[in-house]
Amino acid sequence: MKFRKTLALGMAAVMTMSLTACGGSSDNSASSNNASTNNASTNNAPSDNASTNNAGADTTDAVTYASIKLGEDYTDLIASIKFMHHKTDREEDGTMARLVEEFNKVYPNIAVQTEGITDYAETALLRLPTGDWGDIMFIPAIDMVDLPDYFLPYGSVSEMSELINFADQWKFEDNCYGIGYMGNAQGLLYNKKVFADAGITELPKTPDDFIAALQQIKDNTDAIPLYTNYAAGWTMGGQWDAMLGAITTGDEEWLNRKFTHTAEPFKDNGDGTGAYALYKILYDAVANGLTEDDYTTTDWEGCKGMINRGEIGTMVLGSWAIAQMKEAGDNPDDIGYMPFPISINGKQYATAGPDYSFGINVKASDENKIAAMIFVKWMVEESGWCDLEGGYPISKTAPTSFVFDGVNIVENVSAIDDEADLMNRMNSESELNFNAGGDAKVMAIVEKAAAGVPFEDIMAEWTQKWNDAQSSLGVDVQY
Amino acid sequence: MAATTAQSKTPFSLAKWFKSRKGQQAIVIITFSIIPLALLFVFTYYPFAEMFKFSFYDRNYTKVRGFVGLKNYIDVFKRDDCFRALWLSLYYMGGAVVQLALALYLATIFCFGVKGGNFFKGCMFFPYLINGIAIGFIFKFFYTRGFVLDTVLQWIGFDLENLPYWLRDTRINNFSLVGTSVWKYFGQNMVLFVGAMMSVDSSLYEAAELDGANKWQQFKYIMLPSIKTIVMLNLIMSITGSLSAFEPPFVIMSGGGNGTATYFIKMHEIAHTSQKVGLASAMAIVLLLIIFAATILQKLFFKYVFKNAEDEDTGAAARRDKKLAKGKGAA
Repeated sequence: MKFRKTLALGMAAVMTMSLTACGGSSDNSASSNNASTNNASTNNAPSDNASTNNAGADTTDAVTYASIKLGEDYTDLIASIKFMHHKTDREEDGTMARLVEEFNKVYPNIAVQTEGITDYAETALLRLPTGDWGDIMFIPAIDMVDLPDYFLPYGSVSEMSELINFADQWKFEDNCYGIGYMGNAQGLLYNKKVFADAGITELPKTPDDFIAALQQIKDNTDAIPLYTNYAAGWTMGGQWDAMLGAITTGDEEWLNRKFTHTAEPFKDNGDGTGAYALYKILYDAVANGLTEDDYTTTDWEGCKGMINRGEIGTMVLGSWAIAQMKEAGDNPDDIGYMPFPISINGKQYATAGPDYSFGINVKASDENKIAAMIFVKWMVEESGWCDLEGGYPISKTAPTSFVFDGVNIVENVSAIDDEADLMNRMNSESELNFNAGGDAKVMAIVEKAAAGVPFEDIMAEWTQKWNDAQSSLGVDVQY
Repeated sequence: MAATTAQSKTPFSLAKWFKSRKGQQAIVIITFSIIPLALLFVFTYYPFAEMFKFSFYDRNYTKVRGFVGLKNYIDVFKRDDCFRALWLSLYYMGGAVVQLALALYLATIFCFGVKGGNFFKGCMFFPYLINGIAIGFIFKFFYTRGFVLDTVLQWIGFDLENLPYWLRDTRINNFSLVGTSVWKYFGQNMVLFVGAMMSVDSSLYEAAELDGANKWQQFKYIMLPSIKTIVMLNLIMSITGSLSAFEPPFVIMSGGGNGTATYFIKMHEIAHTSQKVGLASAMAIVLLLIIFAATILQKLFFKYVFKNAEDEDTGAAARRDKKLAKGKGAA
C-alpha cells in the first residue's frame, strides 16, 4: 500500500519534471525556428505592404537597431509593449505620456505602457529573473556574462558605435545589449547671466583663471561665486573626486591604472594640473571667501532655485543636474554647463558615460521585440528626451543643445583584470575613499581652508596615508 | 518502546515526569521562555559574539583577509583620531549634567503643584517622541544663519553681525549639538523624576512643613533621598548616552563634519565608508569596556556620596534624639 503510494508520487514527480523540461525546450525551439514564421504571420495578418520592409529583417536572423528606418519600417505593426524605468518624476509630470503620444503619431498601432519605479535598482533586479517584467527596462547592475540570458542584442558594438555613444557600456562577445537614455559628462554648472554680469567674457580654462573669475563674480555681483553644497555630503566627495583622472591629467589610464602605483599623486605639478590643482580650486575658493557664508547649512534642494535665479555663480556637479536646475525656476536658459577649468598643454578634457540604458526583453514575443526595438530607437533618435534632460548626447545624429566646445571627451579606461579590486583596497586602507563615498576628506578641505590650515599640509597628510596604504598592501610604486 | 524498557530498568520515567506537577512546570517555563531567549540569542548575543570574532580579523563585509590577532585593538589605541573623538563626549556629559539638573528642577516644581502642570509636562516631554533624524533636520534650520534662532535673538535686541555661526564656528558648534540632545531628552528625564517623586508619601511633606521645613529643606531631606535610585539610573543612562552620541552630529553636521565627529561617527565611517570592519568591531568592543568602566565608577561614586549623606542624616537624627532626651531630662 505504502509502496504504491510512493511509486505513484515518484511517477507524478517524474512526469511534472519532464513536463517542465518539455515546456522549456519547446519554448526555446519555438523562439528560434519561429522567427521566420512569426514574421510571416505579422506580415499577413495586419498588413500586406509590410512584406517589402521585412525583406531586410529576413536576411538577417533578427532585426537590428541599425536596420530599422524610423517612420518607414513596420508602421503597421500591432503590438502592446511595456517600458519599466526609474524616472518617476517624468511619469508624474506627464513627460512620459507626452513622449508616448508623439511616438504613437508615427506608430499608432504600438501601444506603450510605462511604469516608473521608485527604488528602481533593487526592484529591477528582483523582477529581472522572472522574465515577465515587460519588454523594455533600464538594465540594472548585472554581470556582463548574464546579458544574453535576459536581453536582446541591438547589433554588434562596431556597428552600434557608429550610431550611438557608449555602445560598449553593456557589451558581451561584441554584441551591444544596452543603449543609454542619456549621457553624463563631468564639468561645472554655471549661471550664464551671472558670468555676463560679472564681466566674464570667456569661460575660464585654468584654475587661476577660474579663481579670478570667481573673484570677479564676488566683486561685481551679489551672487555666491561657488556654492559648495558642503552639507549634502555626497556633493563633496562624489562630485569633486569624479574629476580625477583624464580631466586633471589628460591621461585616460591615470585613474584606474596609475593612481594606485603613484608615489606622490598629490604633489604640486606647478602647471595647474593633477589632483593637487583640482582640490586646490576648492581650497582657494573657500580661503578667499568665494563660497557661501556658512558652509555648514547649505541646502541642496534650495540651491536649485538659487542658481536658477542667479544667486549662485557655479557649482561642481555632473551634467545630470542640468535639467533639475533648469526646472527649478523661471530662467532655464541661464543655466550653462562648462568643462572643468583644468587644461593640460592647453587642452581641456571631460569624461562622460551613459546613465541607465534601455534593454529589451529577450523572452518577449517577436512582434514585441520589434516594437520595442522601434520604440528604443525612436526614444534615442527622435524623442529629444536626452536633450530634455540636458544630458550628454547618446545618438550621434540627433540634435543636441549640449555644447562642450574645444573639449576632448574621453573615458577613463578600466583597471587591468589582475588589479580589479586594487583601487577599492587602497581606498579602504588609506581611508581616503576616492570615488567611493569619501566625502569627509573633501569636507575637511573646506573646514581647513576656513580655519587657515595650509593646503600643503592637507596634501602631505593624504600622501602619507596613500604611501602607508601602498606599503601595507605591498603595491609596487612605479610612477 | 524505548521508554517502557527504560521504565522497567529504572524507577525514573520521563513520560511520568512530564505529567507530574514539576514536569509540567518545567515544560511551561521552557515553552514560554524559549522564544524570547531564542530571539535574544539570535539577535543580540550571537551577533555580539560574531562582532567580537570580527575584531580579530582584517576584513570587510564580504571578504575576510586574514587573522590579525590584537592588531586592530593596538590600532585603536595608536590612531590619534579614535580617542580624540572620545574627548567630544565631554561636551555631551556636560550637557547630561545640565539636562538632569534642569529635569530635576522642573520635576520638583511640578511636584509642588503648578497650574496646567499636565499641559506643560506634555509640552516638555513631546520632543522625546520625535524621531532623532527629524530633530536633526529641525535644528539644521533652527541654527542656519538668519533663520529661527537668529531671528528670535534679533527680536530681543541682538545684532546679527554679533551673533556667531552656530554650526560653522568650531568653538561653539559642539555646544549647539549638545543643546539639541538636551532639548530632546530632558523631558523624558523629568517625567521619570516626577513619577518617582509622586510615589513619596505626601504625609512626609506635611510633617516636615509642620516642623517648619522650607521647600528647599523638603527637597533636600525628603525628596532627593527618596528618588536617588532614579537619579542614579538617569545619570548612568545619560553618561552612557554621551559616550555613544551619534544622531545630532550625523544629521545636523552631515556625518560629523567640522570637528563634531564623535566616537560613534568615526566608527561608522571606518566600518561603512572605509570598510574596515575588523577595526570598527575592535572600536566597538573598546567603547563597551569604556562604558562598563564609566558605569562602575559612577556606581562607586554614588555609593560614596549617598553613604555620606545617610551618615549625616542619621547623625542629625541621633543629635536630635539626644537633644530631645536632654530637654526631657531638664524638664
